[in-house]
Amino acid sequence: MELLLEINTEEMPSSHIKAGLDQIKEKLAAELSASHVAVLSLETYGTSRRMVVVGDFAPQQENKEEIVVGPPKTVAFSADGSPTAAAKGFAKAQNVEVEKLQIFQTPKGEYLGLKKVIKGKPTREILTSVLPAIITALSFPKMMRWGACNLRFSRPIKHILCLFGGETLSFSIDQIKSDNFTTGHKIHSPQKFRVRSFLEYKTLLKKNKVIVSEGERKKLILDRIEKRLQPLKAKLYPDEELLDKLAHDVEYPYVLLGTFPQEYLKLPIEVLSVAMREGQKLFSVVQDNKQLPCFLGVADTPKDPKSLIRKGNERVLKARLEDAKFFWEQDLKMPLSQRAAGLKQVIFQEKLGSYEAKTARLKSIVGYLCDKIDEKKLKKDAVQAAELCKVDLLTEMVREFPSLQGKVGGLYAKAEGYPATVVQAIYEHYQPVSLEDNSPASLAGALVSLADKLDSVVGAVGIGLQVSGSSDPFGIRRNANGICKVILDRKLVFSFGHLLEKAISVYESTLERPREGIVASCQTFFEQRLRYIYEMQGYRYDLVNAALGAGLDNIYYSALRLKALGILKKSPHFEPLILMAKRVNNILRGLPSYKVNADLFAEKEERELFSTFTIIKENVSPLIANGDFAKAQNIIFKMQSPLTSFFDRILVMAEDKKTRQNRLALLQAISELLLQVADYSQVVVEGEK
Amino acid sequence: MSLQNLIMNLQKFWAGQGCYLAQPYDVEVGAGTMTPDTFFRVLDRRPWRVAYVQPSRRPTDGRYGENPHRVQKHYQYQVIVKPSPSDIQQTYIDSLVSLGIRLPEHDLRFDEDDWESPTIGAWGVGWQVLLDGLEITQFTYFQQAGGIELFPVPVEITYGLERLEMFLEGKDNFYDLQWSGDVHYRELRFREEKEFSEYNFNLANIERLQKSFVLTAEEAASLIEKNLLLPAYDMCLKCSHLFNLLDSRGAISVTERIKVIGQIRALVNQIAQKYCGREVTP
Repeated sequence: MELLLEINTEEMPSSHIKAGLDQIKEKLAAELSASHVAVLSLETYGTSRRMVVVGDFAPQQENKEEIVVGPPKTVAFSADGSPTAAAKGFAKAQNVEVEKLQIFQTPKGEYLGLKKVIKGKPTREILTSVLPAIITALSFPKMMRWGACNLRFSRPIKHILCLFGGETLSFSIDQIKSDNFTTGHKIHSPQKFRVRSFLEYKTLLKKNKVIVSEGERKKLILDRIEKRLQPLKAKLYPDEELLDKLAHDVEYPYVLLGTFPQEYLKLPIEVLSVAMREGQKLFSVVQDNKQLPCFLGVADTPKDPKSLIRKGNERVLKARLEDAKFFWEQDLKMPLSQRAAGLKQVIFQEKLGSYEAKTARLKSIVGYLCDKIDEKKLKKDAVQAAELCKVDLLTEMVREFPSLQGKVGGLYAKAEGYPATVVQAIYEHYQPVSLEDNSPASLAGALVSLADKLDSVVGAVGIGLQVSGSSDPFGIRRNANGICKVILDRKLVFSFGHLLEKAISVYESTLERPREGIVASCQTFFEQRLRYIYEMQGYRYDLVNAALGAGLDNIYYSALRLKALGILKKSPHFEPLILMAKRVNNILRGLPSYKVNADLFAEKEERELFSTFTIIKENVSPLIANGDFAKAQNIIFKMQSPLTSFFDRILVMAEDKKTRQNRLALLQAISELLLQVADYSQVVVEGEK
Repeated sequence: MSLQNLIMNLQKFWAGQGCYLAQPYDVEVGAGTMTPDTFFRVLDRRPWRVAYVQPSRRPTDGRYGENPHRVQKHYQYQVIVKPSPSDIQQTYIDSLVSLGIRLPEHDLRFDEDDWESPTIGAWGVGWQVLLDGLEITQFTYFQQAGGIELFPVPVEITYGLERLEMFLEGKDNFYDLQWSGDVHYRELRFREEKEFSEYNFNLANIERLQKSFVLTAEEAASLIEKNLLLPAYDMCLKCSHLFNLLDSRGAISVTERIKVIGQIRALVNQIAQKYCGREVTP
């Protein structure tokens, strides 16, 4: 039997619609399953003004069988098999003939009883109580109240349509009574109309200028955009986020193509597209990556017969572009180097000082990084990029379009004729803004990005700011993710510990917490971030532990270790190598460290193990230093056979103290070598408890 | 339709909705929301309907009369209805129709835009209303003012009069708008914009403004103690305007900004608390 629910609201934000529909679907499915109502299908649809749920459910709960137990068989029947008064009394109490009673085997013996079928409640009854509870308990990223209603919701609810099996399912939510009608498009068809099924609902809505399926609206927009662009041989400047927003915001999409005066093409495409997107939500149109003097807009209407919508949008856009052009020309009047003096006035963080101070720190960190990764040639440009990267915060353009920070700086640097390396590094130094975003494409950009983010993290941690749950006020988590991503994407090899020390030292006496505390907090925090990133990549937690257990100082190497472990996991060596490492570790647990004395090895097996180990160590050490952990692992595996013989034939815990300690020392040396590749003891092998 | 006809039409429409037509408040404010006819009246539980034109000053938006649609003073048409009626969105749409706008030929959109005024401890949830891409109204369900949660909930509808008039006249420039049949916006406002931009950006005396700010804030605090809440609130409005002037002179750093806004908000919140605690029936 079909359920149709439509919650009709004033325009809800797209993220709220999605959150609301997901919750309804999940909770409704859970409630119905708990009530033993079969769910054949359950789907949701939405526009900015309606949340729609369509389901096909069994008309009633499943019937339940229940056995009512009466007197024991021995009491219920007399010797001749006729029912006693007890049996008759039970039958009467149950309102059935004695003949309907049966004998049931129970743990206490045979009893007289009755099998009863309890008919399931109608689903309608269950929905009537469940739906209002689900709707009033919905939670949204931001809640509000309206009128004199006590309900908190995303936006005011105007009306509720609810049908089950074609008939109104009545309930009330804070003065709003459910009914069997809905309304069409708010401008083009605002009248009420009755519906009896989802099919009718969908069809009538379309007649009344509402397309209820978001997928259908999106497809319509894309098709019409395609139709508009084909004659121009042009393409959309890609903006998936905007497309999704528009597909959600309009109930009946109409795509319009407008133009703007050629003179604004002087502006960079970044500025043009942001000016179009923000405010008016327009797409910019490109041909071979060059902006054309036109735009695409999506209106909520079936048509624009007098082109009033197009002309209106053209007029508003022209005014915005005029502003942008004014900002562009004004900003270019003052070179970045001169504008930089103003950074003193811009606060980075109250306790951490100005952007001028931050810029000085960035230069120092970027210079340090260039030295460490042996990029001496890059140093001059990278440091200059660091020096200029924050200056655009003082431009009119960034004040107007904050989302263009960094890019605007790069564009102005380009206009001023700075080297391409400097321009690109400034342009992309805010990247990556999330783990899904790309790292900077240039090395200089990556270094400035890394320095900028690390400076922010160290500063925040240094004054005791904290990340908790979903709250990340200073973007510490986001920045740390960005740092890890840049290091991994660019395969940067350097000591993270030393970099941390450097980033702390450039703050001089600004930070409140002691150095060791900041280092410890950062180490723990970065370990968590890496663990998160690696597990997102699909690595098992124990392999991640093993890779991180070998040390964090070289972040890129932790990824290489993990990769080697991933390879090992699939090879026949996996189990023997892990067990070998565990055996070594187990015997050493809790012991102080000893020194090997080669002269003391007397037995054949221990001499053999020692010499194999010495050779392997010599071969493996350079591999480890170069991060070739997979190869190192293969060589280390060759120790398995002498090690097995050693354990089989040699009593490690020998009575003689010197002999014992020398054998333990050898195992300790082996363990140390293993730990340089990975902390194998963290890996779980099958069958192990 | 001239600007004054637009105003008259809106007055007629909202009076028809039971609104009392207030007159503009005589202290400089950044928005209609800040005037006592909105601020105090949303705090209590009694129903309230009011509509009025409010000149709104934003010194940093001045452009010496050179920008076609940025000015340091513009006109808002402010409507407050409490509690918000369930059909208020339709009523708002009707108000546009009453101006002669044939909506089926246009694209009217309610675009998510929550509103916040940290200076008076107020925020709300709502939309910017776009007509063919032009922002003509801010439509807000007020949730909090003076740090106090509002119930019943008022709806605030703020029309940007110049923008709406641009739409009605099909013009691109504020200064070309007609105020009446024979008076243009330019004649009335151009010189004012030029001179005030000069004052706001270059000549306002920072030291005297700072002194005035301190004195006015002290006055507000002492009036709050004496329970003279309306005069105290006027002082807060004056502080807010002085702050805006200092800001347009570039005399306020980012840190100071947060501090000063917090200082004004603390005063306003006290006023709101007291006002709700001992409500005087008129």
